[in-house]
Amino acid sequence: MKQLLILSGKGGTGKTTVASSFIKLAEAKAFADCDVEAPNLHLINHEGVKESKPYFGMKKAVINQDKCISCGICQSNCRFDAIDFDGNYTVDKYACEGCAVCQLVCPSKAIEMVEANDGETTIYRGNRLFSTAELKMGSGNSGKLVTQVKKNLRDNLTNEELVIIDGSPGIGCPVIASLSGVDMVLIVAEPTLSGISDMERILKTASIFKTKTAVCVNKYDTNIELTRKIETYTLSQNIAFLGVIPYDKKVVEIINQGRAVVEEDFSVSKAIKDVYSKAIELINI
Amino acid sequence: MIIALPTSTSGEKSFISENFGRCNFFYIYDTETEIGKVYTNIYKDGQHGVGLKAAEFVLNQNADVLITPRVGEKSLEVFKTTNIKIYECTNEIVKNNIASFLNNELKELH
Amino acid sequence: MQIAVLSGKGGTGKTLLSVNLSHLANNSVYVDCDVEEPNGLLYYKIPKIEEEIVYTQYPVVNHDTCIGCRKCTDFCQFNAMAFILGKVRVFKELCHSCGGCKIICPVNAIEERDKELGKIKHGFYQGTEVYSGEMRVGEESGVPIIKALLKKVENIDKTVFIDSPPGNGCSVMESISDADYCVLVAEPSIFGLHNLNMVYTLAKNFNKKVGLVINKATDDEIIKKFALDNQINVLAEIPMDLDLARINSNGNFVSDDSRFRPLFMTILDKVLREGTQ
Repeated sequence: MKQLLILSGKGGTGKTTVASSFIKLAEAKAFADCDVEAPNLHLINHEGVKESKPYFGMKKAVINQDKCISCGICQSNCRFDAIDFDGNYTVDKYACEGCAVCQLVCPSKAIEMVEANDGETTIYRGNRLFSTAELKMGSGNSGKLVTQVKKNLRDNLTNEELVIIDGSPGIGCPVIASLSGVDMVLIVAEPTLSGISDMERILKTASIFKTKTAVCVNKYDTNIELTRKIETYTLSQNIAFLGVIPYDKKVVEIINQGRAVVEEDFSVSKAIKDVYSKAIELINI
Repeated sequence: MIIALPTSTSGEKSFISENFGRCNFFYIYDTETEIGKVYTNIYKDGQHGVGLKAAEFVLNQNADVLITPRVGEKSLEVFKTTNIKIYECTNEIVKNNIASFLNNELKELH
Repeated sequence: MQIAVLSGKGGTGKTLLSVNLSHLANNSVYVDCDVEEPNGLLYYKIPKIEEEIVYTQYPVVNHDTCIGCRKCTDFCQFNAMAFILGKVRVFKELCHSCGGCKIICPVNAIEERDKELGKIKHGFYQGTEVYSGEMRVGEESGVPIIKALLKKVENIDKTVFIDSPPGNGCSVMESISDADYCVLVAEPSIFGLHNLNMVYTLAKNFNKKVGLVINKATDDEIIKKFALDNQINVLAEIPMDLDLARINSNGNFVSDDSRFRPLFMTILDKVLREGTQ
């Protein structure tokens, strides 16, 4: 089994558009969406039986009003301004970082750390297996949920040849968690100044993990000069450059029908097919 | 010599965990007594820093060798300050990796 | 007045909108709160940028006093401390600066020192005051930098435009907490709709007045329908235009272009009017 992870650094570069097409092309029997803060892959792939479970992230403080003596020691020790007072002391669950200092300093043992429901993980089971998750508003993301999404996929796998993973944006802990165990990373870059700076950061992260890496550029014709810059930079770092994908209005139209771009025959799908075959060649070396 | 391995199920026939910090168990094997012990990884569900806690656990078992698919940056930083040697696993099963290690077939990681 | 610009998903045009609105507005401030990936400064060619470092605290253990009781390593909820080879080691990147280890230490072996979390850049460009936060690579949370940024503009008598981080996590909440008005940016796709719904729920939860800008607009009615169903005011539609994309991708203000200036002026007018209502 090979695992292919698709990343972008910056959001909105077309990561999910490419991932959904790859899933179609590979007739992949197993895939996952690790973009847990704004998951979108389920909008295109949602067949099979849906099975969701609550996800518990970190613990947060809860004040037991029966035991609280309103001394205010918790408030003066909290460094996150997470304890409010309006007649009673209460915890602002969005501001609480779960450090447990209030519990430590409370003289009347009125504070408990309680596991907070931070979202849910979902598996779609049918002809294909799809693992995804969604965080609740205001919940901090972490490698923990990403690891859970990948574990849900792995635990239900039988003998699939290729697993495709839509990764998280950014460069932090969730990305690092999505990198573990993958055979190759494909970065979908876009030709904007911000797209380039984010791509450089993600390449640095991937190189730490010595993972096989390749780059393609989406919407390349929106700025050909910057596309060349990306290609030159990529090659100078000895990273495979798999090609470019043009911009076309039709992409959004097809996505909005809940379909993968490669289901229609036009310039974009041709380009994606080309990138796909090069990626498959590279991952099997 | 004491060998540590992160595992997803328990026992010498279990699978190696793909992830060091978030493994379900640690398998700690003593080559002199030829006895292996299984420990639950109580830190695996933490939000952050689980790799560090795993490193702390392995070192507190006085392990001389760690066999793992990979280690994170921070755990590696910890290991580098000690004498532990880290080897890359080549097989999915715990006891096969121990055998390979004893036959000098494993590559040192980093 | 504070106006926050937000979108659930990256790449929808949050920065495009906030830099151009601040560029056109009189007496304005632009604040880039996307501290993990700040890109707003790419537009402002500021000759002299002032930098201010944002610090938080981290614990330092005095090994002579430490008795190795491990109370601190057991207490730390963030796993930022570990007992390795008989010594407590601190991992600054994981520390949330809660101060718990110092409180729990029975022998006063822990003192706190400053660590650099990131910085705030400040400057002026053609009448716009610009603040941009930048988190150091490898840090876990940029919230303290966002707090420091917002403190800078707290009592400022100007129109403040806040470029919020993507997503709907705690840093977004922080960035909209004092806003008088929220501009939601969405693109007409099923992805855009899903993420719009996410930030709309967030803004509603905080009882914020909201307006919507549709970026990369096409004939697709998907976002308009959502706006209609939820009675959200659609302020404007920015068309999908390759010229616009090109000017913007090179780090220039599209509102300097005569073709697009009227559109952004209209958005600005509406935002200012609705925000003061």
